[in-house]
Amino acid sequence: MSIDFKKKLPVSVAKPKRKKRKVSIGHYAVNVWLIFWAVLSVIPMLWLVLAPSKTDREVSYKNPLSFASFHGYVRAWKNLQDFNSGVLARWVFNSLTYTVAIVIIASVTASLAGFVISASKIRFKKGFLISTLIMMLVPPVALVIPLFIEMNKVNLIDNPFSVILISSLYPFGAFLSYIYYSNTIPPEIYESARLDGCSDFKLYTRIAFPLSYPLLALLAFFAFVGNWGNYFMPYIMLQSPTNYTLPVGLGALFFSTPAINPGNGATSVPILKPEIALAGILVAVPVMIVFLISQKRLIRGMLAGSIKE
Amino acid sequence: MSQGRLHKPKNLLMIVMLSPYLLLLFLFGVLPLIMAVINVPSKSPANPNGGWHVFKVVLNDFRLVPAMWHVLGFMAIFVPLMIFFVVAMSLMLDANTAPWKKYVRLAYIVPACISGSVAVLLWYVLLEPTLSPFKGLMHWMGVTQAIQIWRTSNLTFILAFMAFFALAGQWILIQFGSLQSISTEVLEAARVDGCSQVQLALKIKLPLIRKYVIYMGVLVFAGGLQIFVEPQLLNSSVYHGIANQWSFDQLSYSLAFDNGNFGEASALSLMLLVPSLIGALIVIFKTDMFEDVTLKSGRKMKKEAQAREAAQA
Repeated sequence: MSIDFKKKLPVSVAKPKRKKRKVSIGHYAVNVWLIFWAVLSVIPMLWLVLAPSKTDREVSYKNPLSFASFHGYVRAWKNLQDFNSGVLARWVFNSLTYTVAIVIIASVTASLAGFVISASKIRFKKGFLISTLIMMLVPPVALVIPLFIEMNKVNLIDNPFSVILISSLYPFGAFLSYIYYSNTIPPEIYESARLDGCSDFKLYTRIAFPLSYPLLALLAFFAFVGNWGNYFMPYIMLQSPTNYTLPVGLGALFFSTPAINPGNGATSVPILKPEIALAGILVAVPVMIVFLISQKRLIRGMLAGSIKE
Repeated sequence: MSQGRLHKPKNLLMIVMLSPYLLLLFLFGVLPLIMAVINVPSKSPANPNGGWHVFKVVLNDFRLVPAMWHVLGFMAIFVPLMIFFVVAMSLMLDANTAPWKKYVRLAYIVPACISGSVAVLLWYVLLEPTLSPFKGLMHWMGVTQAIQIWRTSNLTFILAFMAFFALAGQWILIQFGSLQSISTEVLEAARVDGCSQVQLALKIKLPLIRKYVIYMGVLVFAGGLQIFVEPQLLNSSVYHGIANQWSFDQLSYSLAFDNGNFGEASALSLMLLVPSLIGALIVIFKTDMFEDVTLKSGRKMKKEAQAREAAQA
């Protein structure tokens, strides 16, 4: 028996081996390509993170992906802090406060809207959802000029409230909340709570809200990612440098310092490529950290709950 | 009757809870459009008597046709490249069973963090022969000076690749996510029937994620049409004059803020809104992406429930 088995074994292994080799050639090419694109995706960010470790001269002449010293970061940070009486700290503060305000207002209003649409029997539900979908699919940039005209009429230009209020409209969040509440809370729960004397507001605070922490995390994630790096809206609405956000401030560093364009002339504090790269890190890295932590949420959320798990 | 009476105050509370979002939707979604329409016939140097023929004035603006060619060229590269590349990559990623796949996915998401002003900074560096991490390759190709790359005639390609690089990674992950929703039974059945990996990808998986691909196509198209930040920053900060009124949105911006001509700027904004709106309506009504919303209106659900009850009876 054992002899027969041993004899058969090499034969039975040999067949799939031949097949395996065929597959592995294709797999090998695909793997190489997938890894190549992954490396390519990381290189620009790697440059950005490593550039402030060098001096401006080293940025041009040293290996672009080499590390020089930690002192480089300290020097670049000091120079950035000294630029224009420490306006960078103001930009960081503005970005933080505007984004936090937007995240809170947008998440709360969108969550309430999603709950009402899923749990109530109000009229024009379909019309409301379709208008929300239209707003979700039309790029926000398309409305910037009309929004400027509107904000100008109510004297909110160069006022942070213009950016905070406009960006708090969160149709994507409202739709996501509607899908979430519709899929996770059966209408029978609302009905029995109503029979027990629960008001609609209590339905939200005592039933829907405690069950919606994952939704709120998702809403906050998308609101943060969409607004932290937003350039166009604050660029149009805010005019004083003290009101700028970090991305708009970074744009201002481009055209007011010789870092990228030597034709701009020298500044009192050296703002050169390492300093600009460090400012770029302040814009890009928080989003990257949130992205890397919440990768799965991004996928699920971007498809707006249309994938059933 | 009593039930109806009971429902009224309940709905009122619901409407109060909905009102903050509704107010934002009206103030920043509907009202700007009304304001833009009101602004269109206002008087301006190009339209001294005012009136609705401002649309004609915009269409005759000598800067519109070059901007149109720039944006069309950009879209002709960007949109198909995005769709084909993202679909191919997500299918390859889905077919791959290697354990390192999750790290590759993490790497793909990194360029999504690089947008707006940071993207301009990085692409300036990437394409600058003295700074680029790829300067060896550039020198080998004979590119030793920035002027060889940073020209208005090359901008269509540069901006298309900038947009592609920033967006491709996150869309690969999203389409990869959509591929995960395909039932394993369907895939197993196809394998048992002798489907190869390529046949499985093209004949089974691709048709099943069609609606997500259309969804991506519309969002990419609508977003691409409104390109502004990158050419504007390149033009104003990096290479002065390289992308002057290069895109529709830059022209609209220039009309509003350089010429103070808000009538023409509003008219152009409204004209640009039309393709985006059409795209949105196609996704909503012509794909089954949001079929829960478009099909299951209250009346239809009621009819379905009645039909079910009748069948049971």
